Amino acid sequence: MKESEDTIHLERILDEALRRGVSYADVRFQSYDYESVSVENKVLESYSSRKLSGFGIRVFLNGAVGFASSSDLGHESLEKTLGNAIKAAKALKSKKLLFSDVKINESDAELHVKIDPVDISPEEKVSVVLDANKAAWVNDKIKSASTRLGLSKDYRWFASSEGARITVETTIVGLSHISVAQASGVMEWVPHSESMCAGFEFIKSKDWNSFATEISELAIEAVSSKTPPPGTYPVVVDPEIVGVLLHEAFGHASEGDLVSSGESVLSNRLNSPLASEHVTITDEGTVEGGFYCPFDDEGVKKDRTIIVEKGVLNSFIHDRESASKLGAKPTGNGRAQDFENLPIVRQTNYLMQRGDCEFEELIEDIDSGVYVRGRGSTGGEVEVGMGTFTFGVGPSKIIRNGELAETVRGVVISGSILETLKTVDAVGKDLTVKTSVFGGCGKSGQRASVGFGGPHIRVRRMTVGGR
Amino acid sequence: MGIAELAVGKALKLKATEAEAYVQRTQNVKVEFAEEVETFKTTESTGLGLRVAIGKKTAIYSTSILNDTEVAEAAEKAVKIAKVAPEDPDWNHFNRKFGETSVEGYYDRELETMEYREIVDRLSSSTKLIKDYDKRAKPTRGILTLVTSKVSVANSHEQSAERRETSVVFSIRAKAHDLGMESTGNEHQETRCWKEIDFEDLAVKAADKAVKFLRAKPIPGGKTIVIMRNQIFANLLGIFFGDSIGADWVQKGKSPLAGKIGTPIASENITVTDDGTVSRGWGTRPFDDEGCPTQKTPVIEEGVLRNFLYDTYTALKANVKSTGNAQRSGYWLKPQPSPSNLLLKTGDAHPEEMILDTRRGIYVDTTIGEWLSNPVSGNLNATITHGYRVENGELTEPVKGVVISGNFYEILKKGIESIGKDVRNSAESYSPTVKLTEVTIAGE
Repeated sequence: MKESEDTIHLERILDEALRRGVSYADVRFQSYDYESVSVENKVLESYSSRKLSGFGIRVFLNGAVGFASSSDLGHESLEKTLGNAIKAAKALKSKKLLFSDVKINESDAELHVKIDPVDISPEEKVSVVLDANKAAWVNDKIKSASTRLGLSKDYRWFASSEGARITVETTIVGLSHISVAQASGVMEWVPHSESMCAGFEFIKSKDWNSFATEISELAIEAVSSKTPPPGTYPVVVDPEIVGVLLHEAFGHASEGDLVSSGESVLSNRLNSPLASEHVTITDEGTVEGGFYCPFDDEGVKKDRTIIVEKGVLNSFIHDRESASKLGAKPTGNGRAQDFENLPIVRQTNYLMQRGDCEFEELIEDIDSGVYVRGRGSTGGEVEVGMGTFTFGVGPSKIIRNGELAETVRGVVISGSILETLKTVDAVGKDLTVKTSVFGGCGKSGQRASVGFGGPHIRVRRMTVGGR
Repeated sequence: MGIAELAVGKALKLKATEAEAYVQRTQNVKVEFAEEVETFKTTESTGLGLRVAIGKKTAIYSTSILNDTEVAEAAEKAVKIAKVAPEDPDWNHFNRKFGETSVEGYYDRELETMEYREIVDRLSSSTKLIKDYDKRAKPTRGILTLVTSKVSVANSHEQSAERRETSVVFSIRAKAHDLGMESTGNEHQETRCWKEIDFEDLAVKAADKAVKFLRAKPIPGGKTIVIMRNQIFANLLGIFFGDSIGADWVQKGKSPLAGKIGTPIASENITVTDDGTVSRGWGTRPFDDEGCPTQKTPVIEEGVLRNFLYDTYTALKANVKSTGNAQRSGYWLKPQPSPSNLLLKTGDAHPEEMILDTRRGIYVDTTIGEWLSNPVSGNLNATITHGYRVENGELTEPVKGVVISGNFYEILKKGIESIGKDVRNSAESYSPTVKLTEVTIAGE
């Protein structure tokens, strides 16, 4: 463990908090390094490097939660921040404290990394990005190309008045690329990225020039494609969109805080059949290809939570508060964006489990449908209260008479998640889980890195929008 | 000497040709509530973004730690990265002409002395209104954020500037349950000052919407007239013009508006202005994030594209003057030209008249997923979560779950039938209610 002078002072502030009458306190210290190298149109657009560090104190007083944080680690600031946290708790009406008991952990977890990205010279990083960007200019239909390398190292230290001491260090690297193509007055962009919780060895192991070339080729193909006629179709969904769809439209609804507030469409539906029998969904702290999340920001171990088992809702995901409110066990899903934020219920790696179908079997009896693809997708949004989702997917394929036909662009899928999951009638035997160094999931103004994925699936009815 | 000047000095000592420091100190109060206030937190953050140039090589380094040692290290790292960066042939220099425009209403002194208790009481009384409004409705989620920040900009052209600004963001959501049906209603508002937030009004609106939408249904698709509520259209303006009128996108070939200055890109009733000086505007301030004075810039005049928005880099590259639109989305990022306050000029229609004049159509109150729209191609996509059928001049049944699609730039050219006079903002975009013709809806 990286025992520093800072963390010793922080432990002392826990004692001080108890002396001032709080029933519980925890303190989180974080040191975060982020580097981003961007090249646009063959020119280095920016090389930026960021360091963020500070601490946050959470206290419980008369059943109310107070929180304050500061990026100043000085002694005075520690005192002042504790004071602010206590003042905040006092401003709230007292209520019954809801906070589940958990196993008190003491552990140091660190993702195994072969090459620390910090040890790679700026020249080498620039050249990876520059070369990939240059490779994207495959012909004169490409009007713009931007490429970005992202590297982050996140060290988190957690201590509580209950005696928990946890450190987690996660390194994640990745490359993202956007190609913009134009043909006969139409412009289309295709964004895509690949990331991995690993060291710089992941960057060295992949051919990023062909990665960028393929994105450009897809953009060129898309720009001369049509948008699909709007309507309701049977669709086959690729793992990337399955992952995003599950995360956004189902995962959020399974978050204990949204369930206990009654906001989620899944409230009061535990043990009910919600999806077809082909559907099993899990949330897992560590999974190949996903984000490394062995402990949450409340010091709780993140294991494998089975959310849906063969179509039946089995469990929600929880932090200590939501678990207590719903009479469940914490599942290690109390996560904070950084030291400036309180942990809230977040997904870790949310995925659908594989089935037994080959890809060909999924499409063979579709007369007229769409193969919905993730590469080039622009993201999604959902109304958790009603389970309505909308996703902009990447260039996709029409399925005609059981075979993949022409490419379509500008595809948007939309529907109600509960209806959609009920009409999943076949699940592929493949499985892909992804994560990203570039973005993450937003909730209540906080971003969190997550992993998502699944196999290919077939959905009997889905609304497809387009122009 | 402030941290910003110190950082610039250190970088110059290390043989940077030029340096620019941006220092931000923020105090943030964030309160989350459902039926009662659930969490209350305060955050004090600091940050330095240091840009350096060595000839035509540039780099940016940032840190959240503002002490002498860390500032010295930041300067060292920035210079080290700049040394290995390839030359940017378009690089000229940092802003050489600082200045301040006289503007008002971007700092609310009241935030300095707000009692935590007062904030909690105001939120509690607002959420109570939801339950009082209808027993089927209850508040499920809301966030109030109060931000006070101090920004200093200094560069090696021996100039510096400092400003303080405040912002208040409020969002509230109600959910209604009845006979196994459920629905929600959301409202949000972004302002510069505490007094302008319509807490009670928004709470009641959210409750009313949730209850009304218990029996909302999708409708069949097709081409239809769409009346879009002011805040929703403001959102779309921001999505489609936020980046595309910025010189950065134009120069990089990403903007579909590139090369169209002086040509009609919208119907004659469309006039859009960027104005960083409007009183109490969300993006109003005396100078931009590089120290350039803010100004009023015509973007579209009676349908004709007039100007793009510039920061120092893009202005020097295009050989024009900066329009004072340099903005950093974070102290660790370099500035980009972005709108200050993007204003769609009002028309003379009253929203009620627009409805009265419509035989068949949809009134759009709330959408989700509109940010999935593509400002490059103009593809507009948004899912209506709260809309009403318009039949023979009246709002009739509530509608949900239908997707609006079309090309935003084509809609602006041909499809704007009338513009209202009721302006609201969604962050920095301001718009009245707008009536659109011939929009495609994908429904049941």
